[in-house]
Amino acid sequence: MSLLEIRDLTIQYKTRKSVVEAVNGINLKIDEGKTLGLVGETGAGKTTTALGILGLVPNPPGVIAGGEIYFEGKDLLKAKDSEIRKIRGNKISMIFQDPMTALNPVIRVGDQIAEVIALHSGCSKSEASAKSIEMLELVGIRAERSTEYPHQFSGGMKQRVVIAMALACQPKLLIADEPTTALDVTIQAQVLEMMNDLKVRLNTSMLLITHDLGIVAETCDDVAIMYAGQIVEYGTLAHIFDNPMHPYTIGLFGSIPSLDKDVDRLTPIPGLMPDPANLPKGCNFCERCTRKCDRCAESEPEYLEVEPGHFVRCSNLNGGAENV
Amino acid sequence: MSEILRVEHLKKFFDVPAGTLHAVDDVSFTIQEGQTLGVVGESGCGKSTLGRTVLKLIEPTSGKIFFEGRDITDISKHENRELRKKMQIIFQDPFSSLNPRFCVSDLIADPLKTFGMYGKKELEERVLEIMDLVGLSRRYAYSYPHELDGGRRQRIGIGRALALDPEFIVCDEPVSALDVSIQAQILNLLQDLQDKRKLTYIFVTHDLSVVKHISTDIMVMYIGVMVEKCPAKELFARPLHPYTKGLLSAIPVPNIHHEQKRVQLQGELSSPIDPAEECRFVKRCPYATDICRCKQPTYEEVTPGHFVSCHNVREINGL
Amino acid sequence: MFRTKKQKEELANDLVALSKKNTRTADILSRLVRNKLGMLGMIIIAILLILVIFAPVFTDYPYDAQSFPDRFINPCWEHPLGTDNFGRDLWSRMLYGGRISLLVSLVAIIISSAVGITVGAIAGFFGGRIDNVITRILDILMAIPALLMAIAVSSALGTGPMKTALAIAISGIPYSARVMRSTVLTIKDNEYIEAAQATGSTNARTIFKHVLPNTIAPLIVSATLDIGGNIMAISGLSFIGLGVQAPTPEWGSILSAGREFLRDFPPIVIFPALFIGLTLFGFNILGDALRDALDPRLKD
Repeated sequence: MSLLEIRDLTIQYKTRKSVVEAVNGINLKIDEGKTLGLVGETGAGKTTTALGILGLVPNPPGVIAGGEIYFEGKDLLKAKDSEIRKIRGNKISMIFQDPMTALNPVIRVGDQIAEVIALHSGCSKSEASAKSIEMLELVGIRAERSTEYPHQFSGGMKQRVVIAMALACQPKLLIADEPTTALDVTIQAQVLEMMNDLKVRLNTSMLLITHDLGIVAETCDDVAIMYAGQIVEYGTLAHIFDNPMHPYTIGLFGSIPSLDKDVDRLTPIPGLMPDPANLPKGCNFCERCTRKCDRCAESEPEYLEVEPGHFVRCSNLNGGAENV
Repeated sequence: MSEILRVEHLKKFFDVPAGTLHAVDDVSFTIQEGQTLGVVGESGCGKSTLGRTVLKLIEPTSGKIFFEGRDITDISKHENRELRKKMQIIFQDPFSSLNPRFCVSDLIADPLKTFGMYGKKELEERVLEIMDLVGLSRRYAYSYPHELDGGRRQRIGIGRALALDPEFIVCDEPVSALDVSIQAQILNLLQDLQDKRKLTYIFVTHDLSVVKHISTDIMVMYIGVMVEKCPAKELFARPLHPYTKGLLSAIPVPNIHHEQKRVQLQGELSSPIDPAEECRFVKRCPYATDICRCKQPTYEEVTPGHFVSCHNVREINGL
Repeated sequence: MFRTKKQKEELANDLVALSKKNTRTADILSRLVRNKLGMLGMIIIAILLILVIFAPVFTDYPYDAQSFPDRFINPCWEHPLGTDNFGRDLWSRMLYGGRISLLVSLVAIIISSAVGITVGAIAGFFGGRIDNVITRILDILMAIPALLMAIAVSSALGTGPMKTALAIAISGIPYSARVMRSTVLTIKDNEYIEAAQATGSTNARTIFKHVLPNTIAPLIVSATLDIGGNIMAISGLSFIGLGVQAPTPEWGSILSAGREFLRDFPPIVIFPALFIGLTLFGFNILGDALRDALDPRLKD
């Protein structure tokens, strides 16, 4: 069994007036030591998925309406709060997008990391602070900087501290939510390389949430493309990058200005993502799709395995020709 | 084709508690009518300050700015106000750049009302025309910005900039806050408008693939100084400055067959406050020599149309 | 601009649609009317105002008619709220007293807000040296307790309702200027202010069209909260012989004069407190409703 397996996970935000279907029956799987890239636009449900795994969906208004999340063979959704607390931060930890707000400004960085270690491993204070220095060195920060405060670090360095903190307890799974979006390109390159290197050394699995297909190409083994709360395409790097099948995935690639080729005009996906509180009856992507047909508006497409390990949620994979 | 903007030795310093911040330090360039100059650099390199100084929204510390042949460096408040009709700006953040209490038509009409142009009826017509131009459906005329998505909000910002029918627009990271699929829509819109209205752009961004797509020429900035400027294609085909090389190779490419030859830049940007008399890039440069540590390089045309400021540019590139 | 015939027709249609659209004021009013709590506030204030303005209609007793035998009568048909320690009818004292309390505190609020907004907006918007000078002056003024300040101004100006209003207004200016300045500072950071200037908007226009409308929320809140403080400040001034002179009634002084009889005759304290409380409550909920109605972001 995989380290993490999500089956039919559905998360809704319920307000007085409406039900927002943030995550709508998704299936995901991460094997030990592998990285899964979760790609999608703002509001696609990426972060909600991550919060769902950690049991941190804000309730109210968030409700996990169905599905299973197996971590090391155990269903997290059925586990007790105390069990989840033990797993969170210890076996699964998370890195947030903004390193500025993830650190407490009045505590020295070394102490912040040591605190996490002491909390989860129950070791002594001196052991924990020795370990925290070790962690800082692992992410490329000199030991003497452990007594400094967060504001003395630059953005890239702060994100390294956050990563050190997340890795302090040697988690089995690291969830990284847009870890480099707030960083400059050259710093992003440094942080990504460090993360890739650490992943191999510590054999950590990773769920990388991003909107940047370039980062996915560099760091991931598998890719899931998310759109309006659903996984519309799932496969290995080669499946997604060499043989994208879903019109949304194809549209995403067409929207990115290329560095390799000269394109005069981009081919954007027309329109907007549907309102998650008011999803269409049929395919969620139907409105913006170039190969939609009557059936798309009527019934939701099935999630089909088009080749081993490559799943697509589209009824018109052959360009709608069969329908004519 | 004629020159629309010429900037000579432009400097903008800010007094901050820690010293003098050199936001823009000796920048010179020209832009031809109808072209796009891309300005790229990492956060804090002074690219946004450059855009605002060129527009005279901020007073330069020294240097000269010529717009359509006229020196606009020292002009009266009144002349500066008149200049707004010709030079405009599009902002990065489609959330904070729109007054939340104005509806779409008010936002677009605001510049026109400022100058008291048009009567009530003409004003409405003009606003609707602009909404058509930027691809905003007329039914949103009385919507408020918070009711619209980021892409539409950015279209309002573009409409506002176009209302006065300017010739020159500084686009300050106009697509950075948008999702990729929306980003492409806005980039196409900006290109269409440029063709239709013969607009000249300065396109400020940190996103290299976007700048390559939209620019005629590209200028790379690093801590207030320009390190390299040349035609867009040339920059990506033959970057000469070591910083540009590092920057280009740091971009994650969405192609799994892309050959990565990464020139990893170590360290981070040094402080722009009271910089020492040395090359600004020296601490991160893999090719640094003694001269780099004691003298700032000057800006020179290394090959035709390709300007670089680096002491060792010829040695590094075998020219 | 070139347009085809079809486009021109469309444009004409759209223009018709535009003219049918509610004006902004009507829009705000309709939102205000739909706010139930706000309407309650409006009704409370309207009733209070009608009562005090047309006081003679609602009471037969003059507010200063003393009658020793009728001291401390409990509320009854003849005296709806009872009588006070001089046998004066409390109901008529409340109505006539409301004239002073409401009028003076409202005038004071208007004056202090108007000056405070101007001073605070100038300090916040222009910043730099102007801001420094203004802020320092405000700091000095704030170092003097508001009541002490009101006493000083009041003793210089003399007594009488409008002079009292002015005295209270002056003591409130530093506070409303401070609220305004900090609000303007946060508004000024928004890019739309820079955008307005980039489109050639003059400073005055930017302040009036873009800055001030966005400062309304905190201003309304602080102004409605100040009304209660002002009513009490009037009585404070009256108590030491400034402000409004006895026997002219006024809620605050009825309340403070009644304190010593609280144990034996509660109505003399309960009713003025009730009127002050109702006024505060009414203005607060009306203020909140007004703030919400003026904010397009809260449109349903």
